[in-house]
Amino acid sequence: MGSAFAGLLTASAARTAKAAVQNVFASTSAPKGYDPTKHKWLMCIDDNKCIGCGLCAETCKKENGVPEGPYFRTWIERYIIPKPKPGSGQTRGEAIVDSPNGGIPKDGAPAFPEPTLPKDQIEHAFFVPKLCNLCENPPCVQVCPVGATFRAPDGAVLIDPKYCIGCAFCVQACPYGARFLNPVTKTAEKCTLCYHRITRGLKPACVEICPAEARIFGDLNNLHADDPIQKFYEKNRVQVLKPHLGTEPRVLYAALDKEVR
Amino acid sequence: MFPFKLPPQILRLVLVALAIVGSYFVARSFLTPPTFGQYGWYRGDALQLIASREPVFAGKQSCDECHSDIIHKLEKDAHKTLSCEGCHGVSREHGNNPNILPVKSTGNYCIRCHEANLARPAWLKQIVVKDHYGPKCIECHVPHQPTKTP
Repeated sequence: MGSAFAGLLTASAARTAKAAVQNVFASTSAPKGYDPTKHKWLMCIDDNKCIGCGLCAETCKKENGVPEGPYFRTWIERYIIPKPKPGSGQTRGEAIVDSPNGGIPKDGAPAFPEPTLPKDQIEHAFFVPKLCNLCENPPCVQVCPVGATFRAPDGAVLIDPKYCIGCAFCVQACPYGARFLNPVTKTAEKCTLCYHRITRGLKPACVEICPAEARIFGDLNNLHADDPIQKFYEKNRVQVLKPHLGTEPRVLYAALDKEVR
Repeated sequence: MFPFKLPPQILRLVLVALAIVGSYFVARSFLTPPTFGQYGWYRGDALQLIASREPVFAGKQSCDECHSDIIHKLEKDAHKTLSCEGCHGVSREHGNNPNILPVKSTGNYCIRCHEANLARPAWLKQIVVKDHYGPKCIECHVPHQPTKTP
């Protein structure tokens, strides 16, 4: 009788201890009723529409509390394609790419200064918004030694901040340069598609703020009639970045130049 | 060999091996988070943790709750695609308490998009500010209805 009681006591003590250990990992106030298996998020970018105002990059920083400095979850690049040198036999010059402060204007000055090339030597120039490409086969997930980064069933590639050890293997592995080490938390960080917003039924902050509707966001599993994503597909010929890598991105671009990497 | 007798050293080895394997399983049951494997080879709770951040930007829909007249005006003109908080700044607090005013917009917000830049698409109206009237946009233009004059 006594031994049975002791056994019961040990079992309950073990259960309490287990609960205490697991409480360390317990989550906080999160939106209820969001089922990641019922969504499939997709980001589309109509590059004809990007005006390079940098609002998306600035908004993203504010929304996600990204530290000051050269850390961006989304940013804008400017591509300048010069005319070929006469007699070089090339069709176009080598692209000049810049992204000062991620495309966010600083101290009232325009984000993108006048190009150093004279105007008559430039064939054309354009902006490209960049972000995590939400790969179907993400190289960053493969290289993580502690399994901290993963691809959620809804298509978002996320990082478990409690597991990340900040080794930055994923930063090196990402072919799109979408990751960085947060200097405050010392963990890897990236675009989460504003996971805290989309789980509450809001749009990601960059999509919400874009004044030119260059960014189109939607749920492939819950397409409604005249969904902007459907329209984007119908109107444009779409492509992805670096298709030769086989990463199968879920960020689709329309009207992209071949120089964009 | 009959009757077979297990050598005592083998028995000890088996017991040690069992103890190691057993302690592994005990440690595993303690240390594996309960939601591990819910969706895949990661902690299901991590999704909740990432989603638990409070949104900062309120969005156009919440502005529409009180300022539908302005949004109605906006929607009829060229600036229909603009989001309120793009110019007026983060307004979540203003939505909860109308006494906290959002950041007032200034002419700099016009220039941000409309300053001439080679890389901007041709469909966007652009000006060279120093050849224009200067950054006093709202003297001649109404931001909510850019095709109208005040």
